[in-house]
Amino acid sequence: MISRRNYITLTILMAVVLFLCMCLNSLKDGWNDYAVNRYTETAENYPSKVNIYVPGSAAEESAGGEEAPEKIGAERITARNCVVCIGDRDRLSLQAAEIWAAYTKRDLAVYSSLESYRDTAGSPGPPEMMVLDPESINWKDASEIRFLNTCVEEGTHLVFCDLPDAAVIGSSLQVQELLGIRSVLQEEVSVTGFHLREGFLLGGETSYLEKERPDAETYLPGSKAFPVERTFPWYLPGAGTKVYMKGIPEGDDVKADQYPIVMWRKSFGTAYVFAVNGEWMEGMEGLGILSAMSAEMYSYELYPVLNAQNIILAGYPSVADENALEMERIYSRSVKQVFQEILWPGISTLLQKYDYRATCMMTPQYDYSDRQEPDGKQLNYYLKIFNERGAETGLSGVRVSNTSIREKLEADRAFFGEALGGYDVVSFHGGDMGEEEIMEALQTDMLASVRTIVRDYDASKPEPAGFLSENVTVQSTLGDGMEYTYKSDFLVRSIQTALGYFSMSYDLSRVAYPEKEEEAWEQLSQALASTISTYGSQFPEFARTTAAECDMHIRQFLALDYCDSRTGDCIELQVEGVNGPVWFILRTHNEAVKEMKGGSWQKLEEGAYLIEVTESKAVLILKPADVRFYR
Amino acid sequence: MENDMSMTMLTVFQITGVSAAYLGVTLFLPWLLLRRKLASLRAGAGFMVCFMAGNFYCMNLVFLLQLFHISNRVTLILGTLLPFLAAAARKRKGTLAAVLEHRTRKVRMIFEGGLGVRTFLLGLGVKMRRASAGWIGQWLAPRWPDVLLTLGIIGLVLFQYGSNTVNVYGYCASDMVQHNYWINHMEANRIFVDGVYPFGFHCVMYYLHEVFSVPVYVLLRVFALPQTLMIHLVLLAFLKLVCKSKYTPYVGTMAYIISGVFYQYTYFRYYAPLPQEYGMLFILPAAWFAIAFLREKEFGTGARGNLLLFSLCISMTLATHFYDTVAAGLFCIGIGAGFCFRCLRWRYLRRLFLAGVVGILIALLPMAAAYVTGTPLQGSLHWGMNMLSSGSKEETVQEEPGEEGSAVQENDDGEAVKDGPKKDSSVSWRKVLDCILGELKYYVTNDSMAAAKFMLGSVGVLTALGILWCVLRRPDYGAVLVSTGLFAGILCILQASAKLGLPQLIEVSRYSVYIGYGLAAVWSLCADGVVYLLFLERKGIHLGGIAALAASFGAIAMTGFRTPVRISAYETNDAITCLTNILRENGDSTSWTICSANDEQQMTWGKGYHYEVIDFLRDQKELKPDTTLMIPTDTVYFFIEKIPILYLDYINTIKPERRVSLEGAEIPLPEVKGLLPYIQDERWVTMSHMYYWAQAFRDLYPNEMEVYYETDAFVCYRVRQDGFGLYNFAVDYGYNR
Repeated sequence: MISRRNYITLTILMAVVLFLCMCLNSLKDGWNDYAVNRYTETAENYPSKVNIYVPGSAAEESAGGEEAPEKIGAERITARNCVVCIGDRDRLSLQAAEIWAAYTKRDLAVYSSLESYRDTAGSPGPPEMMVLDPESINWKDASEIRFLNTCVEEGTHLVFCDLPDAAVIGSSLQVQELLGIRSVLQEEVSVTGFHLREGFLLGGETSYLEKERPDAETYLPGSKAFPVERTFPWYLPGAGTKVYMKGIPEGDDVKADQYPIVMWRKSFGTAYVFAVNGEWMEGMEGLGILSAMSAEMYSYELYPVLNAQNIILAGYPSVADENALEMERIYSRSVKQVFQEILWPGISTLLQKYDYRATCMMTPQYDYSDRQEPDGKQLNYYLKIFNERGAETGLSGVRVSNTSIREKLEADRAFFGEALGGYDVVSFHGGDMGEEEIMEALQTDMLASVRTIVRDYDASKPEPAGFLSENVTVQSTLGDGMEYTYKSDFLVRSIQTALGYFSMSYDLSRVAYPEKEEEAWEQLSQALASTISTYGSQFPEFARTTAAECDMHIRQFLALDYCDSRTGDCIELQVEGVNGPVWFILRTHNEAVKEMKGGSWQKLEEGAYLIEVTESKAVLILKPADVRFYR
Repeated sequence: MENDMSMTMLTVFQITGVSAAYLGVTLFLPWLLLRRKLASLRAGAGFMVCFMAGNFYCMNLVFLLQLFHISNRVTLILGTLLPFLAAAARKRKGTLAAVLEHRTRKVRMIFEGGLGVRTFLLGLGVKMRRASAGWIGQWLAPRWPDVLLTLGIIGLVLFQYGSNTVNVYGYCASDMVQHNYWINHMEANRIFVDGVYPFGFHCVMYYLHEVFSVPVYVLLRVFALPQTLMIHLVLLAFLKLVCKSKYTPYVGTMAYIISGVFYQYTYFRYYAPLPQEYGMLFILPAAWFAIAFLREKEFGTGARGNLLLFSLCISMTLATHFYDTVAAGLFCIGIGAGFCFRCLRWRYLRRLFLAGVVGILIALLPMAAAYVTGTPLQGSLHWGMNMLSSGSKEETVQEEPGEEGSAVQENDDGEAVKDGPKKDSSVSWRKVLDCILGELKYYVTNDSMAAAKFMLGSVGVLTALGILWCVLRRPDYGAVLVSTGLFAGILCILQASAKLGLPQLIEVSRYSVYIGYGLAAVWSLCADGVVYLLFLERKGIHLGGIAALAASFGAIAMTGFRTPVRISAYETNDAITCLTNILRENGDSTSWTICSANDEQQMTWGKGYHYEVIDFLRDQKELKPDTTLMIPTDTVYFFIEKIPILYLDYINTIKPERRVSLEGAEIPLPEVKGLLPYIQDERWVTMSHMYYWAQAFRDLYPNEMEVYYETDAFVCYRVRQDGFGLYNFAVDYGYNR
């Protein structure tokens, strides 16, 4: 016989077990409002294009094109640091410099040649920095070199995006002196690698070395593509220089101090001359290089950043059974099963490990011409688990059939309406779609709620984030996440330095429609794991965001205006034009943040801090980076 | 609260640690081994036996291991433990393994996790507390006045000499760098790296460095204090053994520490751990063991022990510094004369002579072995030998006795010392006395003839008292007084040796160090002789001793106290502070360089690199476009003295005041070689150049060249660089010439 007391105890225990097993899941499902996109709610609280900060009223195109400077914000030119860009505006490095000036809220003046700038120089005062295209300078004209020297003496820092021919440099001591070149050793040298000094770009010291062994890719992943051409003139640095990057020539007989220089600066006491030997600044990389150079110019540098780290799973998931024969051959499963049972467990574990929050740019189906319809239940399943994991569900424009984007989006709208009664998408993955096609897509009802477009990396567009239209932002990914190369590494370092921004796209439609054997998930998963772990271990201090959250950061970033000043160990920072938090990177030399009011800070690395400003005025107190133990 | 520490506090810890290590090895371990055998000895004798045995064993263990090139921490520790193992093996013949197993039970339990360290320490503490309540209390009860007075003497030494050690961090003698260099090379078993030299002192320093991981530069900074303390304690122990009253030993010891009658050179060398002063530790013990031997009526175990210890002491004086052997030999001559009634007996003389010879042979053996195997003599030995052979013929331009001012000559350490007054050609007793007094006045007193007369008079009085006591049938006591009196008297005569045409055994100014030390014994024994005369063996003798102590204190107060001095060190405090920080910060990394005008090359041996400032400046003299000056380490530190130290060869207290200036930088860099660019005005010029170089480089690299440490008189800059992109330190600073 069981006692009443035991009977009651057992009953309670069974009730608890039943509750834990059955009710918790039911409650979780019940409270999971997955059918509503959480990011649509706050859209109107964030600035749109009309709020964007422009240094001045508007860009003024000069009538003559060449004679008059194209000044932006001329009325504030005395109050704010001014960047003068001299050269062809079509050149990517100059475009990058213009974008960088806008991002860092500097005034900008663009001239087509040094001569045209000389004519207007002196008023209203020397600019902070001149970014020079070497082709805009007549190197044989000694007066132009003298003028550049005068600019340096007046305190203007010069940045040469590239250098003139080695023959020009070799023939002029004046030019060598200006650029900090001791001698031209060879007009051309091929290097086997590059070495980047610590403290320039964020991410620390690194070397890009050529593969030397068959298995070197294992040890030197990324060596498939170098950031630039490995053949360039061999210069040796002169006195008063600091070299940030060097090439590593072939052979062991060359000493490190004789290595060809790639990026360096020459100090004149009054200002620096920065020189870049090669096309390193031709693209988004220019933004990071300019930020790094700017940080070198002063005892501290504070500049706004996006602070967003995105992982874009493009074309994932698809909820239709497609390409069944191929799927059966490769995986012995349907696409739905592969995505749900193989991809998601692996991807979600990896993302969780590095604290990333995925933006899953789903497409109900890839092929709109077949008869396989998407599965509404499967959609519900994904939305639930994405919601649980804090992932964002966006929409991808990817498709394998010849269906137009408008037709695809109509079909998707119909599907979402049927499965969920409608779904407001905030992020749209445009992939490699052209601007017109994207604009056409944005006209559709399906994308009416879209606030941001995620675009694939385009080397010819050096703007990683901006406004596409009045209310829609565009954010560029930094490349294909399935492939880690030195080029992508350098790009990531540069953009992290300039913007604290990272966005890597993983095109998972390749799993459903593999074009070659290497695109089977078995291989792709290794690449994905490798790159996520590589990037994920860098800069854990930056915010892990989804595309929609990144959109909010972009709006804040573009709208804000700021000014800072330093008195002793105290930096005062005033922020205008935004509500809510904005982020800055503080670069220091031998100093560290001691305390902060009006926000918070995190150390990124030695001499680099991520500053979150939550109030309109923030105060940072600095201290020496290291103090002597014995005194 | 800031997480830092003052250098003063660090120095106090270092002194404590080094003292504990040194006394642990040279006092505690020998006591642990010999305590049962020492039970019958008086405390002073036991102290001397332990201290001599400890020093001798430590010194010769290092010699032996170094000569076999197997010296390292393991062999040194094993060698240290060897006597204990041997004693245990002899005592527990056949059961050693069992005993070892039993004795190491708790240690094994700790390693096996059966017993916690804290529990073990707690048990040990309880045991020690119980033991201390017993025998320490019993031992202290009748001795507390002595203990208090001894603590007072220790306190006075610490006050007089400690304040310098604690507050002046740099080396206080110019030749410390040389000793540092020799000790550094012993790490690689390269003893006698610079030639054969008495290495006894270096062996002990090396032992402390290797076994206790005390950096050599720290040892050479702070060891002066424990060494000086022990010199005074040995003096006190000697006097306690020879005096009749318990308190008269304190008379001379106290006077020696606090009296202002002594000329600074008699005690300046105590501010640095120099071999000669280290060797002084063994002079009085050698004398005591000779006296103790001569007091023996029969040649039993005690006599043999005394002879053995006499040998050891003689050996250590020679192994440390030849001058100490000379001083000990002079004392032996005094003892021979004082104890002539025994010494003239063949059985005493033979044994004593043989013991002395054996002692000398023990000391010479390692040096001879090295010399025979091809190591040449170190330079200063040649100097010493030349001094010995030509000293009596030496003639220099000198002034009349008693006149102010003097010429300056250099000794073996490169120290400048005052020359004595001129030699008087007419030799008569009166003239000789005047000459001796003149020399004493000049070298030992602060130019006070009264003090010189008092000193020489006290030597005469002591000798007379000794003779009196011999007449009064206290021959052993009288002989001690005579011996000490004669020793001091001979030293006083030799102080004037150059003037009297006598052989100059040691460099003339060094006599004053021994005379000062000997006078302490003379004064104590004088007081004791008188007190003993008044009270004989009656109880009042101790009261008499106290009265003598009080009287002597009064006399010192009347004549003036000596105030502690601060030596003008050969590195600034700031430089040493920086160096200590650099060593701490860089840990195991050796990729750093100090560019300075100091001796960091030896101080940081094996830890980092050093670049001479003068080389650094000369390398960018006459700057050309292709001039490159790179220092291939991750970090480079530049030590710049804004008020350059006044680098003089001799120990001094002169404070520098001249600042670096454009005027100095405009003067071309000194062309002289060696140390000369860092001495006096040349150092000011060199530092002025360096200062303006730093300003120019900082203009070009404002963010890279950071101030690492700065005071009003000193600045250290730090430049961190990348191995792939070294900075070219050659810049046009406007005075590159």
